[in-house]
Amino acid sequence: MKLAVYWTGSCGGCDVAFLELGPALLDLLPKLEIVFWPALVDAKRADLEKLPKHGIDVALVNGVLRTTENVEMAELLREKSRWLGAFGACAHLGGVPALANPGEGIAEVVFGPGFRPAPPLGEAPEDAPPELLPEALPLEEVVPVDFVVPGCPPPAGLIARFFAVALAEEIQPGQVFAAEKALCEECPRTREERRLARLVRPHEALADPTKCLLDQGMVCLGPVTRGGCAAACPKAGMPCTGCLGPTPKAGDPALAMLSALASLVRAGEEGEPAFPEEDRILEGLVDPLGTLYKYAFAKYGRPLRRLARRRQEVRA
Amino acid sequence: MSGFEPRIVAFLCRWCASAGADLAGTNRLAYPPNAIPIRVNCSGRVEPQWVVEALKAGADGVLIGGCHPGDCHYVAGNYKARRRVYLLRKVLAELGIEPERVRLEWVSATEGARFAQVMSDFVAELKRLGPLHGNGGPK
Amino acid sequence: MPETRPRLGVFVCHCGKNIAGTVDVAKVAEIASRFPGVVYATHHEYMCSDPGQALLKRAIKEHRLTGVVVAACSPTMHEETFRRAAEEAGLNPYLLEIANIREQVSWVHSGPAATEKAVRVVRAIAEKVRGNRPLRPAEVGVTRRALVVGGGIAGIQAALDIANAGFEVILVERSPSIGGHMAQLSETFPTLDCSQCILTPKMVEVARHPRIRILAYSEVEEVSGFVGNYRVRIRKKPTYVDPAKCNLCGECAKVCPVRVPNEFDRGLSLRAAIYIPFPQAVPSTYTLDARNCLGLLPLCCGKCAEVCEAKAIDFDMHEEILEEEVGAIVLATGYELYPKEAMAEYGYGTVPDVIDGLEFERLLSASGPTRGEIRRPSDGKIPKEVVFIQCSGSRDPEHHKPYCSKICCMYTAKHALLYRHAVPDGQAYVFYIDIRAGGKDYEEFVNRAMAEERILYIRGKVAKVFREGEKVVVWGVDTLTGRRVEVRADLVVLAQAMVPSPGTEELARKLRVACGGEGFLKEAHPKLRPLEALTAGVFLAGAAQGPKDIPESVAQASGAAAKVVALLSQPKLAHAPEVAEVAEELCSGCGICAPQCPYGAIAVDEVARVNEVLCEGCGTCVAACPSGALTFRNVEDEQVLRMVRAALAEVEGVGV
Repeated sequence: MKLAVYWTGSCGGCDVAFLELGPALLDLLPKLEIVFWPALVDAKRADLEKLPKHGIDVALVNGVLRTTENVEMAELLREKSRWLGAFGACAHLGGVPALANPGEGIAEVVFGPGFRPAPPLGEAPEDAPPELLPEALPLEEVVPVDFVVPGCPPPAGLIARFFAVALAEEIQPGQVFAAEKALCEECPRTREERRLARLVRPHEALADPTKCLLDQGMVCLGPVTRGGCAAACPKAGMPCTGCLGPTPKAGDPALAMLSALASLVRAGEEGEPAFPEEDRILEGLVDPLGTLYKYAFAKYGRPLRRLARRRQEVRA
Repeated sequence: MSGFEPRIVAFLCRWCASAGADLAGTNRLAYPPNAIPIRVNCSGRVEPQWVVEALKAGADGVLIGGCHPGDCHYVAGNYKARRRVYLLRKVLAELGIEPERVRLEWVSATEGARFAQVMSDFVAELKRLGPLHGNGGPK
Repeated sequence: MPETRPRLGVFVCHCGKNIAGTVDVAKVAEIASRFPGVVYATHHEYMCSDPGQALLKRAIKEHRLTGVVVAACSPTMHEETFRRAAEEAGLNPYLLEIANIREQVSWVHSGPAATEKAVRVVRAIAEKVRGNRPLRPAEVGVTRRALVVGGGIAGIQAALDIANAGFEVILVERSPSIGGHMAQLSETFPTLDCSQCILTPKMVEVARHPRIRILAYSEVEEVSGFVGNYRVRIRKKPTYVDPAKCNLCGECAKVCPVRVPNEFDRGLSLRAAIYIPFPQAVPSTYTLDARNCLGLLPLCCGKCAEVCEAKAIDFDMHEEILEEEVGAIVLATGYELYPKEAMAEYGYGTVPDVIDGLEFERLLSASGPTRGEIRRPSDGKIPKEVVFIQCSGSRDPEHHKPYCSKICCMYTAKHALLYRHAVPDGQAYVFYIDIRAGGKDYEEFVNRAMAEERILYIRGKVAKVFREGEKVVVWGVDTLTGRRVEVRADLVVLAQAMVPSPGTEELARKLRVACGGEGFLKEAHPKLRPLEALTAGVFLAGAAQGPKDIPESVAQASGAAAKVVALLSQPKLAHAPEVAEVAEELCSGCGICAPQCPYGAIAVDEVARVNEVLCEGCGTCVAACPSGALTFRNVEDEQVLRMVRAALAEVEGVGV
C-alpha cells in the first residue's frame, strides 16, 4: 500500500502517534510503501508533484489548515491519492489551533497591527512565509475527505484498526475509525446522582477514583464524544475533552453538551427561588467555548462566529 | 436601518405560550407578524441546537415561550429550558452575538395580551439591535 | 423517515371570512403546491364542515396522499376532527398536522404580511409532515386489582369504594389494626358524633368484604412495574397469633408479665406484650409484640401460650414476603403529630401536664385510659384551668413548620367545648393566631364554643410554658389589648402541627412519587390533578397529601377510588404514541436522561430504555441527551431543523 502522511498546522504529535503501535509496526512496515512523509523521510513538494494521479493509495493529513500553503498541499494530496483521510482532531474538526479563530486576524493579535509576512533579509520574495488564512479550517472545508482517524492524537488501537481495514481495501466512504457509541460505554467509572450541584475545573477538585467525573462536577465530554480510546483520560482522572469528535447523531457537540449540563444542574428543590443559585452554578462553566468546543470549534462553532464577525463589520 | 423587519422563530409550549398566542388571536390583539411559531410540547423540548440553527438560517432572534415557574405541565421542563438558555446566551455572547437575540418568556394560556406585548417588545428590541445577517437580513 | 417519496396534500381553510378575509388563501394554496413533496393543494370555505371533510377524504384516496397539512384554526380546535377523517380515508392519523393560520395569523395580522406568514407557517408544518412516521397508540393490559396503602379512614374509604365497584383490593396497614387516627378520636367536629361509632361499622365492612384482603402489621417493601402492571413486595410481620383461632378471650394479656406504654392511648396507659390495640380492632385478633415479649427467643416465659385455650399462639411464626400484582395504587398513609419534644418554648415535652391534641382525645374518649374523665397525667387530678395552644409548631417558618395544619382551630374548639361539658366548673383558655373555620357549619361551631361555653379565646402566641409546683404556667401576650397574659393552668393542650406519617418519604421513593418540601406526597397538579401522583397509576388520599380533616379525607379517598375504578375498568390502557424513544445502537448508557424524567419512565442499564406507557411526551430528556441517541417520535431533531429553515426561507410571489 502506497502511503503518504503529511502535516499541516500540527504539533507533530500525530506523527509520533504511529510509534504507539509498538512491535506491531514490525509487521506493518513491510506492507507499506512510504511515498511521502516529511516527518520521516526526506521528500519535497516537487517530489509529490511528480507523482501521477492516484500515485498514492492512502494519504493521511494531520493538522489544521492555517496557511495558503496548507491548502495547496491538501489539494495536491487530494489529487494524487485514491483515499484521503483526516488523521487526528485538527484535520478532523480543527482541533485546538482552531480555537484561535478570533474576530480579528490572528497575525494582528500576535504581531501587532500592520504585520505583513516578508522573506528574511536578503532572501528572494518567493521565499516569504505563506499567507495566513483568515480562519483555521478543518480539512473537509478545503477538499473532500474520505475517512477520519480521529483523536488527539489518534489512539494506537484506532490506528491499528485503520491499517487493518485499509490493507484489506475495505475503507467505507465517510468512515470514522472510532466507536458509534459515546465514551461512557467504555468508562469504568460509576455514575450515581446525575445532578450537578457545582461545576469545577479539573484542577479545582481531587477526583474520586471510581465515581463518574461528571457527577463530581467536572465537565466531562464523554457523553457526547465517540468511544474508541478505552476512556483513557477518565481512567487517569481527567475529564474527556472530546478529541475523538461527536457521536454520529450529536450534531454540534458543544451545544449538545451544554444542554445536558444545564439539564443536570440542580440547586436543591427546582423552582423560582433556586434560580440565582442555579445561575451561580452555571457560571462555574468558565470559558465555555474553550471547554465545550476544545477540538470542534472550526467545524461547529465557526459558522456562528462568522455571523458575529459579519455583524461587527456591518456595525462598524 | 429603517425598514428592517427582524425575522423571528418562536418555539411555543403548547400548554401555555401557544395557547396564549391562540387567546391573543381570539381576542383579536394585533401584534407584529415577524415571528413564525413552532409549537412544541414543552419548552424543555427545545434544544440549543434548534435555536442556533434558526440564527444560522436567517433568524435575527429566537423566542422560547414556556410556562410560568411552578406551572409547567410536565413539572420542571421550563426550569431546564431556563438553564439551557442561560448557558446558551453565555456562549453566544462569547462568540460576539448579542445574547438578547435569544429570549425566554413565561406566558400562560390566559395571557393573550402578554403574548402580544412580548412579541411587540421583542420585535422592537431586535430592530434596535439591527439585523444579525450583515446583508440587512432577509426581507 | 419514510422510505417512499412523500405525497403531501395541503388544504387551506377560509373559515368563512375569518381567515380568507385577511389571508389570500388561494395564493397560499398556490404557493404550497410548489413545496417539496406536495402533490395536491387546494382551499375550501370550511374545512371542518362535512363537505370540507369529504374533500379531504376524497383527496387522500384520489391522490394517494402520504401526508396532510390542514391550514386552519388552532390544532386545539379541530386536530382530532381532521385526524379522524384522515383515518377514515385510510391515512394514519399521525401523518396529518394542523397549520394554525387563524388564531396565530389571520386574527392578529393584516395585509400581505399575513399571507406571507401563513405561507411560512404552512411550509414549516409541511416539512414536519414530510418527516412524520405513521404511529399507533401503545397498548398494555391491566391487572384488575388495587393496592391501598394505609388503613386509616382515607384508606378504608378508598378500599370500600374500589371493592364495591367490583375490583379486588389489597389493604396494607403497618400497625396491627386498621382504623388509623380516627379510631383514637373521641367525638368529631362539628357534629360531635362519636368517632368510633361512625368508624367501626366501616372497619367491619372492610373486614367482611369479599373483595378486600387486609394485610395488617405489614409494609410495602418494594414496587416495580408501571401503571396497570405493578408488582408489589409486601413484608408481613409475624403476629405470633393465628387470627383464625384467637377468640379474643384476653387471658394471654392478663398473664403476660410485661407492661409497656400503649401506643393507642399515646402512652397514657400501659399494655402487655401480647395485646389488642382496641376492642374493635380489625383484624380482630391479639398481636404479640416481639420487641417486648420475654419468651420469644430464649423460651423463658411462654405464659400466654400456656393459658391460650384456643391454641392460637405460635412462637414459630415467621416474617413473610408476599408478592402481589396490582394495576393501581392508592397512597393513604396519613399523618402524625409534630412531636411536642420539638417545642423548646413549651418545655420539650418534659412537662407531664403538657400534652398534645391526640393525647387529649384519649382523655376525652369513653374507652380511653381515664374512661372519659378528664384527669391530668401527672397526678390524676381533674384540671380546673386548661390552656389550649393553637398553631403549636404550625405557621412558624422560623422554628417549626411554615404551613397551617388546617384542622387545629376546629378540634381545639371541640376540645374546649367537650372539656367544659366534662368539667362544668372548669375554665378553658384558647391561644390563637387566627381562627380558620372554613367549612360547612364550622364557623357556627366555633362561635358556639366561644359564646355558649364561655371559653376564653386570647389572640396571641404563647411565649413560654413551664412547670411551677403543681401548676403549669403559661406566658403569652394578648395582641388585641397588648397586655401580657399569665395563666396558672392545671393542664396545657398543644394543637401540634400535622406532619406526614413516618416513612412517607421512603415509601414515596419506592414508588418514584415526589414529596414536597415538607414531606407530604405531591400531587400531579395542585389544581387540576389533586388526586394523582405524577407516577401514572398512583393516587393520593387523605392527610398524606397535606393536612386535612375527616370529610375532606373521605372525599379525596372516594375521588381517588373513582380514578382507580376508571383505570381498572379499561380493557387495555392506550397511550399516545408521540413519546421519546432510544436508538439503542447509539446509546452509551451515560444516564443523563433518567433524572430529567418526572415520571420515572426511563430506566438506564447498559442502555437507556423508555417505558412508552409512562412517558408523557414532554421531550425534556431528548433535549438533554448529548449523544442524540434519544429521539422524539414525529418531533425528530432533523424535522425541527427543517421546519426552522422552512420558516425562515424567502417567500416569493406574495408581494410584501
